[in-house]
Amino acid sequence: MDRNQTCVKLSVEPSRGLVDEKILVLVQNGFPGSQLTIHALHQCEDGHHWEAFAHYNADATGTVNVSQDRSSGGTYSGVEPMGLLWSLRPVPGSKPGLRMRRKDVWVPMVVRVSVYRGHQIEGFPDQTPLAIVVLERWYIAPGVQRIPVTEDRLTATLFLPPGPGPSPGIIDLWGGGGQLVEYRAALLASRGFAALALDFLTPKVTIETGKAVGNDYFELSCAVSISGSHVQPVDGSIAEILNYFDTNRAKTRFNENNEVIWKDLLLPIPTDPSLKVDMGRIQCPLMLIVGEDDQNWPACESAADIKDMMERAGNNHLLTLLSYPHAGHLIEPPYLPHTRTSLFKSLGKGEKYMVLWGGQMLEHSRAQEDSWRKLLVFLREHLYGGSTSAVPSHL
Amino acid sequence: MFRAFLTATKIQTRIGIKEKPCLNLHGNLPSFQCALVRRKSSIRQAPLLTASPVRALMDEQICIKGRFLPPLSPITVYAQMHSEDGDLWESFAHYNTNSSGSINLTSDHSVGGSYVGCEPMGLFWGLHPAPGQREGLRLRKNNVESPYTIHISLLEGHISPRAGQVTELAAVTTERWYMAPGERRIEIRQNGIVGTLFLPPGPGPFPAMLDLFGMVGGLLEHRSALLASRGYASLSLAYFGHKDLPGPEKCINVGDSYFKKAFHFLQDHSQIDGDRIGVTGVSFGAYLTLRIGIQIGVKPSCLICINGPIGSVSKLVDESGRTENFESDQKHWTFDDQGRVSFRKVSLPSNIPAKNKVKVENLTCPLMYIVGEDDLGASSLETADLMEETLRSAGKSHLFTRLSYPGAGHFIEPPYAPNERMSLWSIKPQKLMSIWGGHPAPHAAAQEDSWKKILDFLESNLRR
Repeated sequence: MDRNQTCVKLSVEPSRGLVDEKILVLVQNGFPGSQLTIHALHQCEDGHHWEAFAHYNADATGTVNVSQDRSSGGTYSGVEPMGLLWSLRPVPGSKPGLRMRRKDVWVPMVVRVSVYRGHQIEGFPDQTPLAIVVLERWYIAPGVQRIPVTEDRLTATLFLPPGPGPSPGIIDLWGGGGQLVEYRAALLASRGFAALALDFLTPKVTIETGKAVGNDYFELSCAVSISGSHVQPVDGSIAEILNYFDTNRAKTRFNENNEVIWKDLLLPIPTDPSLKVDMGRIQCPLMLIVGEDDQNWPACESAADIKDMMERAGNNHLLTLLSYPHAGHLIEPPYLPHTRTSLFKSLGKGEKYMVLWGGQMLEHSRAQEDSWRKLLVFLREHLYGGSTSAVPSHL
Repeated sequence: MFRAFLTATKIQTRIGIKEKPCLNLHGNLPSFQCALVRRKSSIRQAPLLTASPVRALMDEQICIKGRFLPPLSPITVYAQMHSEDGDLWESFAHYNTNSSGSINLTSDHSVGGSYVGCEPMGLFWGLHPAPGQREGLRLRKNNVESPYTIHISLLEGHISPRAGQVTELAAVTTERWYMAPGERRIEIRQNGIVGTLFLPPGPGPFPAMLDLFGMVGGLLEHRSALLASRGYASLSLAYFGHKDLPGPEKCINVGDSYFKKAFHFLQDHSQIDGDRIGVTGVSFGAYLTLRIGIQIGVKPSCLICINGPIGSVSKLVDESGRTENFESDQKHWTFDDQGRVSFRKVSLPSNIPAKNKVKVENLTCPLMYIVGEDDLGASSLETADLMEETLRSAGKSHLFTRLSYPGAGHFIEPPYAPNERMSLWSIKPQKLMSIWGGHPAPHAAAQEDSWKKILDFLESNLRR
């Protein structure tokens, strides 16, 4: 039996963390100066395998500390404490256009982290690792309650943090993909907010009523828009808004890989005030988070226009703009893999497209980490006492 | 930006002012007593209580912080949990927020409650049965595959949580696990062996431990589960008081061949490195550790003994180590003025017949002996002295490591678990309580320090 194999120690802490928590990956008792590959493997809910790996050299004590040491190659390079998670990508041979989206928040993301001898780039399943540790990444903290909401023919889920309340509340709206996406609301509840994940594009609502149910407004304490745009027929129903996008279908572009670029559907930003929300009238603090390489929606151009409108109206002191070069459309909670393109099923006719969301992995991952942190600070700052609602929306 | 098109009042009711359903816990646990008054806090800010990590291994520290509290104000942190038997355990501590309205249990000092001073994990090791619970309880997890769920609250003022109405400001729920993700638990009933094997994730080969408890009997898995979470395969072995073991109750009916089989089981296991196996035991299990390590013809790489005798405290039936009923000879049992029994003197070396003693001078591998200086369940100090002297005379001092903890009692367990100074020993012919010693803070410190040293000791002897 290889004595060395018993010796190498791999530890990852915390072994059961929340998705937005940092991990510390440590290899010890390796041969000093030896080449090692640290590998992460995850099988997502739809059965596909994702992997990340990085090449390190153990130091004089036989240690590799991923938070401090440089990766010399792999799916990321340099000093990247969380690289094993955000650089996860479908394993070779996977079908194209995959995207990682958690459906069941009660089941954690399970990641198998292994250490291999040498600087490996492929063939991991056929090799025996020196050590393995299994990691759980949770979208929901213990004690958070999940309450399905079905009043008013809505499709929504409420997540309540433990404790007496009242908790500041957040309504979490997702974008044109339809379907109820709960994981961000679950994560927000794990950070102390009461969060309502709302699917406003529920076919039931639009088909049966043809327009929104009860167009009452909330008095908002603040709003966060991620990759959003203010361009839409003002006072329009959902059906009318979707129709507006549809009429501009001809502006759909395809890049050299035949990937769909939809941002032009709303460009140029209209000057007609009936076609965009009057941001000069907004009365609550607003945070805009945009990726400058967003190829799906003109979030960046819209942000510039919004800033302009608010400056002219004199309420731009309410605006916080986070703009990230080389980040794309899908700005997710941190340490989740970046999706540059994926297979997307359109709501209307259910056709599938390979959509270009944009973004470069490294800068996009930094944007996810930075924006999440700032978003939480922004929400906490504006959500205590008095009225307690906020709307982050993601288009 | 899309508007939110919902009925405003309905949702505001839900998220503005929460009606508080009882907590929804794992499976069959009863819900918490809703003795706390839930009303809108008189403080403008929304206090926040965080624990990091919220899901921790039992030997991991959890960092508890409170924020957005009134500055320079008294605050009580209160922890409560239900054991598997449904008993309520609780602890609390008094803190004062700083000028920013924050507290941090990793650095702040408790000024009263279940513990005082800077004790980051005090809420956990300071847990005790709530008033009105059954007497003589010990906190033991039988099912190590599920976590303990502990609910922690911030309460206004310096109060005792039981004293009338309290105002809960914030709360967080934590889970504490004995097993790591990917770890495997395998019941072993083969070749007469009764035990549970815990394996870390992966193909191995892993260094391994044989893990023995004391005369409480049965099969205690929690230490093995934790050792496996630290990368060691570990076999919890039953030898007494288990339905799958042969013979009359209250006697040890398995002998040397049984322990040999258990050791060989580990050696022969395809995922275990047969050259790197250690043995550990507490109380009577510590004597068995010595016997296995020195006397029965197997060669472990190291031994760890905690608060145990140097020889069998029960009369030996034969050469193979089987014993008679432990309670048949009570002449060394001592009773305090409340009728509680201490077994300390039973294991005094001078009270153990020579033929029952293990010949420690024949030791061939490193041995760590851990002493709780307030141990009222065994004569650990005297035993350690005798071992040290014997090994010195045999020129084997280099093999001996002694850890000694003032104020620590008999059950030196993995860290952050509460100590029970006394517990229920038996109910027939009448209720009998036994005292084990140990004062909360020094015992907690002993558990934390000894566990670190145990892991370092295993690292040196089983990995290098």
